[in-house]
Amino acid sequence: MSDKPVDAMSFEEAMAALEQVVGALERGEVPLEQSIALYERGAQLKAHCAKKLAEAEEKVELIRAQEGRAVGTTPAEGM
Amino acid sequence: MTCLVYTHADCERHVTPPGHPERVERMAAIKLGLAGLAVEHRDCPLGDEAEVLRCHPAGYLARVKAAVPSEGWAQLDGDTFLSPGSYAAAMRAVGGVCAAVDAVITGGAKTAFVAGRPPGHHAERDIAMGFCLFGTVAIGAKRALEHHGLSRVAIVDFDVHHGNGTQDLLWDEERCLFISSHQMPLYPGSGRPEEKGSHGQIMNLPLRGGGTGHDMRQVYERVVFPALADWKPELLLISAGFDAHADDPLAGLEWQAEDYAWLTRHLCEFAGGRVVSTLEGGYDLDALAASVAAHVGVLEERGR
Repeated sequence: MSDKPVDAMSFEEAMAALEQVVGALERGEVPLEQSIALYERGAQLKAHCAKKLAEAEEKVELIRAQEGRAVGTTPAEGM
Repeated sequence: MTCLVYTHADCERHVTPPGHPERVERMAAIKLGLAGLAVEHRDCPLGDEAEVLRCHPAGYLARVKAAVPSEGWAQLDGDTFLSPGSYAAAMRAVGGVCAAVDAVITGGAKTAFVAGRPPGHHAERDIAMGFCLFGTVAIGAKRALEHHGLSRVAIVDFDVHHGNGTQDLLWDEERCLFISSHQMPLYPGSGRPEEKGSHGQIMNLPLRGGGTGHDMRQVYERVVFPALADWKPELLLISAGFDAHADDPLAGLEWQAEDYAWLTRHLCEFAGGRVVSTLEGGYDLDALAASVAAHVGVLEERGR
């Protein structure tokens, strides 16, 4: 598993790490005592992915809004 | 009538390595939780190997016995350790649950709590795991079915971890309804709703991390209590782990002591109030004491 801090991960890295964590928990590969620590790492990764997704969504919205304004301000020729 | 509490000094002689959460001090926390409750204390008798053999193969029993070290520890998996006193402790837990089942079925008591360790609900037929050696609650259910001839028993496991061992031991047992609620994903990784047993008699209810007692109450009201009402058990056994408590270090649910009182009060509505509860997890000592006080407090009220 990557030792990179969660905050420094790209979306893809965090998703891959999250899949590893969930897989290990579901396959029962983790001792009882360590299971909660891994779960907490999974929760951090999930939050990080959600944050990255929300940032991407905001960017898309911003681009859409800018395009909308651009379309709206284009002079309608021939009318 | 009364509520019987079974325990034994041998259960304090199952010693785990320093830093292990399933530790001897849990017994003192439980005693603290029980202080002041008008329960009747009994010593767990030593369990009979024949009771264990209702659930585990003879080869497994022999292997566990042979693995017990004369000093120090023997390690059976990443979590599960044997000390010189572990076998006797596990057999006291088995004996306690069998004696409690006997007392509640024959009318010696209405409710009982067995405070034994090591816990049992992760032990599969042939595998010691998750701090557990023998499937004590399943052994208790088999005692009720085979020895007393009951035909409908139910087990509710509210420990925060899935009762994979109990599920494995009772997978084919159509006379026993087994319901486990547990945080998921978490150790041991099993306990999906699709795992239903050979006769559809197993119910798994995964709970999301961070879930509160309020969330638990909704699941129990919607799913567990109706299932118990349909099943009409003659005896209800509880795998009582207290590690869904908000303060527990090994899990991420947010239950409080009063949630255990609420749950116990409702569970005592089934099986004519004949309830045998047996200790599983619970690793924050203060939370364990408070939760045991809440749980056994209700068993005592209902046992009168």
